[in-house]
Amino acid sequence: MSRNNEGAAWTILGYLLSGPLFWGGVGYGLDTWLGTGYFLASGLLLGMGAALYLVWLRFGR
Amino acid sequence: MTGTLNLVGYGLAAIGPGLAVGMIFSAYINGVARQPEARSVLQPIAFLGFAMAEALALFGLVLAFVL
Amino acid sequence: MRSMYSFLAEGDEFVPPSSRDFVLPPIFGDNPYSTKPIFLVFLSVILLSLFFVMASRKAAIVPSKMQFAGETVYAYVRNELGRDIIGHEFMRFVPYLFSLFTFILVNNWFGIIPMLQFPTMSRISFAYVLGIITFAVFHYVGIRHHGIIKYLKDILFMPGVPKPVYILLTPIEVATYLIVRPLTLSLRLFANMFAGHLLLMIFILGGEHLLQGAITLKLVSPFAFAFGIALTFFEFLVQCLQAYIFTLLTALYIGGALADEH
Repeated sequence: MSRNNEGAAWTILGYLLSGPLFWGGVGYGLDTWLGTGYFLASGLLLGMGAALYLVWLRFGR
Repeated sequence: MTGTLNLVGYGLAAIGPGLAVGMIFSAYINGVARQPEARSVLQPIAFLGFAMAEALALFGLVLAFVL
Repeated sequence: MRSMYSFLAEGDEFVPPSSRDFVLPPIFGDNPYSTKPIFLVFLSVILLSLFFVMASRKAAIVPSKMQFAGETVYAYVRNELGRDIIGHEFMRFVPYLFSLFTFILVNNWFGIIPMLQFPTMSRISFAYVLGIITFAVFHYVGIRHHGIIKYLKDILFMPGVPKPVYILLTPIEVATYLIVRPLTLSLRLFANMFAGHLLLMIFILGGEHLLQGAITLKLVSPFAFAFGIALTFFEFLVQCLQAYIFTLLTALYIGGALADEH
């Protein structure tokens, strides 16, 4: 584990990018499908929250 | 000259997280330099702090393209 | 804008370099595969093969200068990137890491070598191909090492989480492993080379344009050239760094795929 911590910053960056990208993308799709305007923002927040949770699971415990 | 002001806004918004990441790792390096055995305690805290600060920068990045 | 430029420069308006300057015309006729970057890639392969064959042909205990140079690069990649990061099975991957490092390094250096002066990796296709190869390698290694079911389970399901949360987390893991990792790997390399080349073009072309202006502008142009030269050295640093980071991340991903637990 301690050896892999060298790449921790890169791994964290990857999670933080893909979280909002995926759930923000889902929100964007819902927005264009249903014609609403709030799914994108909530998807971004949800994705970022989930990504932070994932980072905590992997590196914080 | 053409372009979008979103990117200027993103540049300004990235200042804060940039400073924050620098401060977090400077504190981490200071702590480990003073007390090397505290490394395993400080490392998760430093990386979580880094993740929090970086999250804000990435919000700015995403919103600069989305808005 | 136009009036300000005409006040500054007497000649034609300065056209700043843009992404159009990276699309080079074919060298031989209309063949779209005979552009400068393609020849640079071939040239890099020839140069690298020549150098390392020369360096290793007369291997001696007391090394010649060339052998020493070759061995330094090799030992650096093997020890710093292979052994320290991948772990005990590292020797299998040293050939890949070593070719990757030297290939990217030489292709990046082409950006500042006089007469060539075009970093191959500033065309994004080359960076994509390298990213895809790394992607294939580390997934293949992981699947071979763990078996496909255990490997997928390791990726998809983080242990110690209540079941419903997996709906939230698993897509993020999949996106990280399948899209974000190879994409950021290639984009980082591409963006650095692209931006660096653009920066150098702006200073050198700007200095050249100032030289054609009024006498006061001619006096300013040496500063632009000086900045261009200083940035060339900076660019050298960035090029080495990017080759290093690409190889480092490849080694990290391979090491992560081989690791027994996340």
